[in-house]
Amino acid sequence: MQMARLALKSLWRDLRAADVRALFLAMIIAVAATTMIGFFLDRVTQGMARQAGQLLGGDVVLVKGAPFEQADVTRLREGGFKTSEQTQMVSMASRQGAFQLSSLKTVDHDYPLYGTLTIRTAAGEVQKTGPPAVGEVWIDARLGRRLEAGLGDEFQLGQTRVRVAGFIEREPDQRVGLANLNPHILLSQATLESADLIHPGARVTYRLMGRGESGAVEAIQPWLDSLRDQSIRVMDVEHDSPRLGRTLERTQKYLSLAGLAAVLLAGVAVAMATRRYVERHLMTVALLRCFGSQRRQFTALFLYQLGWLALMASVLGAALGWLGQEALLSLLAAMLTLALPPPGIMPLALGVLTAVAMLAGFAGPTLLRLKNVSALKVLRHELDPMPVSALWVVLVASLVFGALLWLFSKDLMLSFWVLVLGFLALFGLWAVSAVLLRGLGRLSYRFHGPWRMGARQLAQRTRSSQGQMVAFSVTLAAVGFITLVRADLLDDWQNRLPADAPNQFAINIQPSERADFTNALDALTTSRSDVYPLVRGRIVAINDRPPRQVVPEEAREDGNLRRELNLTWREALPDTNDVTQGQWFAPDAGAGEGVVPISMAERLATRFDLSLGDTLTFDIGGSDVTGRITSIRKVDWESFKPNFFVIFPPNVLEGFSHSFITAFYLPSDKRDALGQVVKQFPSVSFLDIGVILNEVDRMLSQVARAILFILLFVGAAGVAVLFAALAASRPERTHEGALLRVFGAQSGYLSKAHGAEFLWLGGLSGVMAAVLVEGGTAALYAFWLDLPVRAHPLLWVGLPGVGMALVGGLGWVLGRDLRRQPPMTSLSQLEQS
Amino acid sequence: MSRSFSSIRESVTHESVTREPSGHEPATPTILRAVGLSKQVRSGSRTLTVIDALDLDVAPGDCLAILGRSGAGKSTLLSLLAGLDQPSGGELYLFDTALSKADEDGRARLRAGQVGFVFQNFQLLPTLTALENVMLPLELTEARDKSARAKTWLERVGLGDRLDHLPRQLSGGEQQRVAIARAFVTEPKLVFADEPTGNLDQHTGQSVAELLFSLNRDQGTTLIVVTHDTELARQCARQLTLADGALIPWENL
Repeated sequence: MQMARLALKSLWRDLRAADVRALFLAMIIAVAATTMIGFFLDRVTQGMARQAGQLLGGDVVLVKGAPFEQADVTRLREGGFKTSEQTQMVSMASRQGAFQLSSLKTVDHDYPLYGTLTIRTAAGEVQKTGPPAVGEVWIDARLGRRLEAGLGDEFQLGQTRVRVAGFIEREPDQRVGLANLNPHILLSQATLESADLIHPGARVTYRLMGRGESGAVEAIQPWLDSLRDQSIRVMDVEHDSPRLGRTLERTQKYLSLAGLAAVLLAGVAVAMATRRYVERHLMTVALLRCFGSQRRQFTALFLYQLGWLALMASVLGAALGWLGQEALLSLLAAMLTLALPPPGIMPLALGVLTAVAMLAGFAGPTLLRLKNVSALKVLRHELDPMPVSALWVVLVASLVFGALLWLFSKDLMLSFWVLVLGFLALFGLWAVSAVLLRGLGRLSYRFHGPWRMGARQLAQRTRSSQGQMVAFSVTLAAVGFITLVRADLLDDWQNRLPADAPNQFAINIQPSERADFTNALDALTTSRSDVYPLVRGRIVAINDRPPRQVVPEEAREDGNLRRELNLTWREALPDTNDVTQGQWFAPDAGAGEGVVPISMAERLATRFDLSLGDTLTFDIGGSDVTGRITSIRKVDWESFKPNFFVIFPPNVLEGFSHSFITAFYLPSDKRDALGQVVKQFPSVSFLDIGVILNEVDRMLSQVARAILFILLFVGAAGVAVLFAALAASRPERTHEGALLRVFGAQSGYLSKAHGAEFLWLGGLSGVMAAVLVEGGTAALYAFWLDLPVRAHPLLWVGLPGVGMALVGGLGWVLGRDLRRQPPMTSLSQLEQS
Repeated sequence: MSRSFSSIRESVTHESVTREPSGHEPATPTILRAVGLSKQVRSGSRTLTVIDALDLDVAPGDCLAILGRSGAGKSTLLSLLAGLDQPSGGELYLFDTALSKADEDGRARLRAGQVGFVFQNFQLLPTLTALENVMLPLELTEARDKSARAKTWLERVGLGDRLDHLPRQLSGGEQQRVAIARAFVTEPKLVFADEPTGNLDQHTGQSVAELLFSLNRDQGTTLIVVTHDTELARQCARQLTLADGALIPWENL
């Protein structure tokens, strides 16, 4: 206890020293970065899960054709879910001779579980929860126009008359599905019952939705699996909104990557500040030893001192982290329309853990040097213990960083590979820096005056320059990396969603009206996908055996084995598909009798473990058709165009009952014109996916903003590294500067020499950073983010430029007082340190 | 800029001297001249006078030892004489230039290539090799064969086989030899030595001192040594003692 108090006191005195301040600051930044990013990630990812949940209607949604048992509801509630039930069906609404097929949806008092329901009533737009009053309905404005019904008007629904109490402005759980094609009517369960529409044979679906805390869905997964076997359709956020799921996943990965970059940078700063701290304490330790202090005692003293430091940095850093994320969220409040839950306690623990790990990993090996100080140093100044080898520091720091990496990414293999690659990269950087410095030393003879001096000083202080170059290049690389990945990530997203990406699907186009319909569509839009025939068939055999016996165990319950698949036929390969194995159909492939060639999507082939030559038998309208896989296609499922698991050649399926499907882009000013087409082709159904696209767009811009903010933070951490590094190397530069002034160098000369040195340092570090980023992104894209690998020429100009500006600027600022001070003052200050 | 002075004193007096040049030709050329030089330092609320109206003339090729007890202000005086520090009053002429008229840069310009230094604690840059340390002052000049000259000087101080050693790989005596080579490499007119043997054992100190004095003789350099070591001082042509902020003749007992 006494030791702890003594340590606190000495730490307090020590806080006057620049290195302890730098150490303290770096630790605060590290803790603040991890906690802030931790808190923020925690909230935003939870919030995003909620938003995805909003589209779905809940975190978990159960659908079946009969009312749910009370037991199911209870089970869900016991799992910590708030529940809501809906009954959906399609029925005719009529008023004064006008008829419109409409989708009815009953909602209960807990509706909506996510998001807000906005209804336009006589009182203006209001947000509602729960159902309208009995006998009243909220309807789509579209239905109002069709029935010529305004607020307060009544129309016939089944056996009852209902009154329009409001128009639906925004309905949170907009689903894509056939039922959504028709205008919506929201009503209470009681109203539906009085309409008396539910008879045997009526197509009614019942939905049970649950909203729970994160992790709640995983907790009931076994039960959900058992439901799947009872022909209940189970949807959850993770599995049933693939696009949002992937976006979420990618964003999480990316944000934690950015978080790690901040941690790494702060770690580098800690390592650099520690070096100076240790050097400054060598004499103190020598004196302590001289006075008879045992190794154990002063080791304990330093441990306590650093323990205090870690504690204070944790508290301050965590507080800053909290404020940071609050500031961030309020900054983004307008853009972040997510309802964010409060952050959990985990990020806090992560922050404290980071502080301790940081000290152990990045400062530890250097601190060990203090143990080896000889008491003789008091008498003989030069008796310093050898500096710890950089290899040792890097090794321990990497292990700690690897552990943090694992903690953040929860991906052991990834952590391992990042570590291995990181090691290789560091060795590479160390070697490259040596080569660059040697080159600079040679080249320096070509310069004159201060330029030559600056270059030579940098080249001559090989070890310390190498250390700084590696640190700066890692810093610059981290910033470059995150900027680049962000840009590429967004580019990729935006590239995948061209401005005229289809926003409407037209299905159920009858063969007889196909030509007229496409003509009508082409008058509306210039962007339309091909028209695909659609035949429905179920897989009944694979290689003449029951499919469940052939496919891998985990695919046995796959819905694609149970339900009917959408099949099509085509002469040419669809433009969003690529054949990866086998050959696309020969021109008359479908001509013969018996087994016909078919083309399989890679995704399904992988899931069912199918390869070229396997046969599949489909039950199409009661007849069996057998095909042999002759090609496997990679399909761009995110193209928003009709995509098919199985494609037949022409002349096979034409005899079966079929319709056609197409996707097209409808400009917003052509919505009314589409109404004419709708009237002209009453049997064709339209599916508006623009809503989903807008949602995805909105989410992307939110993600982009979050990323930008974290990038700023990583940049700030990078600047902290520069400060720590320059502060750590300050005594060396002060010494040189003072001596040069004694030898007669003028301040202008020193200024230029300093400037030249920092510009060289920044520029060379930038070159190294460019190497690192180019290699790193290539690896990252190829193995992790699943983006195309590309070269970035701008990087090779930008990073050295940024390096020169940043390091040069900071170096100049930090060197100012050195140049102003009389040289003897500098020299005597050095003596005292 | 060149100035001449009427009264050049061979020895130091306590009397105040005429500040203004009187127009007479100088009897002896001077390389360094202090007139009424003083230095006060503030210590809390007290003002301490370290150097008090001090006068000094040093002729070219002179070898002067300034003795004094610990804390007498020897190092402060050296800093003032070398133009490394600003006096509180009085004037200092270095190479006939009044330093009060020059700013920090002007003083630096005056030193460049003309003044060498040997410090008690060597002041070698730990990350540079012996050769690179010796080359450092040459970097400030337009000299062409910097490396060759530095090498020659290291050979002259007996370290021809230690060119690529870092300071920590050298003994104290060797480090001070490197420092001496560094002080003489620009072939300066004036070399200041601040307790050059203070950190060395007697034997090593003696050999370093011999080297210093022999170079002083061979190069015709003016040497000003500040020390508390009477043995070292005895080897100089002229000795003065700093006491109570002024220089008085040394009474060799």
